[in-house]
Amino acid sequence: MNERQIQKFVQRYLDATGCHIVEKSPAHFHVKLSPKADRDLTNRPYYWSFVDRTGAEPETMSLLLVTDKQKYDNQTAAAAANAQQKDSSAGGGAAGAAAAGSGASGTANAAEAALGRSFGYIHGTLNTNIRVPREDLYFGSRRLNQLFESSRQGGSYLCLFQEPDKRSNHPLDSTAYSAWLGVNMKVEFACDMKREEFHSFGVSLATGQCIEQFHDRLLQYRMTPKLPPNVHTAKNAFTLTKAAAIAEQTLERKLRTYDYSWAAAASKRLNEELETINHYYQPLLESAEEENKPQIAEQFERRQEEIKWQYEPRVTASAINCGIFYLQGIG
Amino acid sequence: MQPTNDPVKEAPAVKRKLHPSVDLQFDRTWLHNLQDRVDRNGPWDDWTMYQLAVEAEQSKLIGSFDDLQCLRSLPSFEPMTHQISTARKVLHEMSGRAILADEVGLGKTIEAGLVLKEYMVRGLVRKALILVPASLVLQWVRELNGKFGISAVAQKKEHSWANDVVVASMDTAKRDPHRDRLLAQDYDMLIIDEAHKLKNKKTTNYQFVNQLRKKYCLLLTATPVQNDLDELYNLITLLKPGQLGGQNEFAANFVVDKRMPKNEEQLHEALSSVMIRNRRSDGDIHFTKRIVKNIPLNLSTEEQALYDAVTKFVRERAGESDGDWSSLLSLVTLQREVCSSRDAVFVTLVNMFKKTAEDSPLRAKIWELVEVIRSITSNTKAEKAMELVREMNDKVIIFTEYRATQEYLLNYFRANNMVAVPYRGGMNRGKKDWMMDLFRGRAQVLIATEAGGEGINLQFCSNMINFDLPWNPMRVEQRIGRVHRLGQTSDVRIYNLCTIGTIEEHIVSLLHEKINLFELVIGELDHILERFEKNESLEQRLARLMLETGGNGDLLRKQIDDLGNSLSRIRDEVEFEEDEMSAINSIMNAVGQTIEVRP
Repeated sequence: MNERQIQKFVQRYLDATGCHIVEKSPAHFHVKLSPKADRDLTNRPYYWSFVDRTGAEPETMSLLLVTDKQKYDNQTAAAAANAQQKDSSAGGGAAGAAAAGSGASGTANAAEAALGRSFGYIHGTLNTNIRVPREDLYFGSRRLNQLFESSRQGGSYLCLFQEPDKRSNHPLDSTAYSAWLGVNMKVEFACDMKREEFHSFGVSLATGQCIEQFHDRLLQYRMTPKLPPNVHTAKNAFTLTKAAAIAEQTLERKLRTYDYSWAAAASKRLNEELETINHYYQPLLESAEEENKPQIAEQFERRQEEIKWQYEPRVTASAINCGIFYLQGIG
Repeated sequence: MQPTNDPVKEAPAVKRKLHPSVDLQFDRTWLHNLQDRVDRNGPWDDWTMYQLAVEAEQSKLIGSFDDLQCLRSLPSFEPMTHQISTARKVLHEMSGRAILADEVGLGKTIEAGLVLKEYMVRGLVRKALILVPASLVLQWVRELNGKFGISAVAQKKEHSWANDVVVASMDTAKRDPHRDRLLAQDYDMLIIDEAHKLKNKKTTNYQFVNQLRKKYCLLLTATPVQNDLDELYNLITLLKPGQLGGQNEFAANFVVDKRMPKNEEQLHEALSSVMIRNRRSDGDIHFTKRIVKNIPLNLSTEEQALYDAVTKFVRERAGESDGDWSSLLSLVTLQREVCSSRDAVFVTLVNMFKKTAEDSPLRAKIWELVEVIRSITSNTKAEKAMELVREMNDKVIIFTEYRATQEYLLNYFRANNMVAVPYRGGMNRGKKDWMMDLFRGRAQVLIATEAGGEGINLQFCSNMINFDLPWNPMRVEQRIGRVHRLGQTSDVRIYNLCTIGTIEEHIVSLLHEKINLFELVIGELDHILERFEKNESLEQRLARLMLETGGNGDLLRKQIDDLGNSLSRIRDEVEFEEDEMSAINSIMNAVGQTIEVRP
């Protein structure tokens, strides 16, 4: 994700969670969090359990979310310079006054920088003189990962209806809808290394038809949580479990066509490593004093487990999120 | 032992053979939860959040086995090329078990951080334990958080262990009750800094690390071999047992003598699959010269009177006491303090006075000394220091052992219109950095009581005054190391202020002439002291000599000379062995590359 994509992501997250945006630019948001977002982002479980128990009016936090650090810093520096210029020209003083001004702010900056350094590695918060904690959201930053995690928590299970293309003219007309199981999966190919793939499946509960890239298809529709008028749903011929099995089979068929030389290589490494430690521990065991044997045997076993843990190739498929989607037509 | 990414144990999962060497496992938790919500008709989540979740996952997706994903999430710094290539090698060729043996200053911490971060980004490491010497714990925490955005915490309380990434000192970790807790845990990754402390199989450190359950493991050390090849064998066996065969096999295949390897080529090959050693290119280890100057000073009459009075006091107390070492040591400290400043003695005397019983006759004697202090109006050393500072007209750092002396000097310099800033161990991080900034900027003088710890890198300053000298040579070396380091462009001038006819005179001659401390290669002192200080540190030995010889100046001189001679003998031995080590070193140096470092 680049700065622009992050900016867009944050904007949509803040909207979806009902946060109040106090001020924004293409490089930042100054935002007062909604209770939902505050719960997910500020890590204040004690405070929220207090609110929940006492029914007190919650006071949510405000954050300064910087999505483009460089741009934001330039903006603020330019603004500060402007303000200063105004100051000195307003004061009517000559160059001397300006120099004195910059000297004073120089020390202030140094003091701030010192403070920032001492706290920076905890939060980067006290660095700014406004009281709103500043968070730099770059890809991989903790705060952005929290946003990711929060959207995953708040967007796991759905039940949605496609909005009809056009209002039907006749009040007694009824459009047929059928239910789909949609599931977005992450497939992990792991040994001592790892890669991942994203797969999205939709399985019609009416016909059992399975289509790939289902998520992309959903994005083309307008979806609503409410059942639209003049719509009837087809009878489900497949249970969720059956539909899930169909999705899994589709995935499995696909995965079977892949190249597994990486797994074979990992197995080979695994066996070599096992052989190496075998070569080391076997003679050790044989020559050891009787009383020391159990200890060595235990060590041996532990190393074997460690090596399997480290190298054993495995492929796992798990869901990112899923839902029931009612789409027009009989799929 | 569960791989990190396995679903929760209770979660329903299906396993099927996908290929002869790999199973496919489906996690079905989601289906159960979905069914549950269907049955209860909700609650249902938000459509936008659902889309955001997919976008987030897609952006985090690890597309290939062998690129470095972590590089795109390190906004605040750029690793050097050799650090990146080292990380790659550890990840892709060594499967995450390696000895990082770069020479000092090439960034082993950064390399380890890159490897750790990469595994974390890929979801292969969640739990990580980092064991380092106590003095480096906070530095590691800072680096991991600041440079890598890894939420590492320093182990402080028992519950700290519950965090995902914990930095702790080896000494804490191996002790009860921590030990059992750590041994019961599976660590996805273990990192050990200063791993040469694991070279001996019989130590508790070694056995403890051997028992820890770990998947990936990095051992960091700049000196994988200090004395003989067995150390190397032990270190590698800890990491990967059998890599060099059994102990006997190793001895038969690779060892002629404890410092003389054979079958270099095979040994090199075996080493290069577990060890990476980057070295500075020789042309670049360009240290500037050290110019050491002792400044002998005669104490003023009043100061000499105080010194004599304190010496007499110490001798009497030593005679009376029945060998209570701790109180005797503080007596010796008194004598050292007189050589520094009256303020330093005063503080110690006041404390001593407070600790003495009210009816003790000692109180009167202590008070007499305080009276002698009163008559002192100037400080010979401070005047000389001032003169030196004015003469050099350049940045200078003054080291003293005593807080009180530091305070005195600050006042003295201020009174003489010389800008000086303090630096001491007790300051918090922010204040330390601030003081450094001030020194770099407008202050000509930095007065420091502490030389240890990172963060005081003073390459921009090339003058140093030892206002007084620590008795622990390592601390002297640390002081020098702050100034005389990579990036220093000028020759370094070191001035030792030394009062004639006092204990200080002996110490300066011992450190300067016998150990040749001021001209030793970095790291050498470590070896010398390790051999010398079998039972007792040099510092303690000196204190004991002082007390035992009583007031007999000649006897003391002779004893210290003996001490000095045995130290210089050890120095010769160590230097000789360094030459002998060249065969081992050349093998180790072949493991890795030479790095041009531009300071």
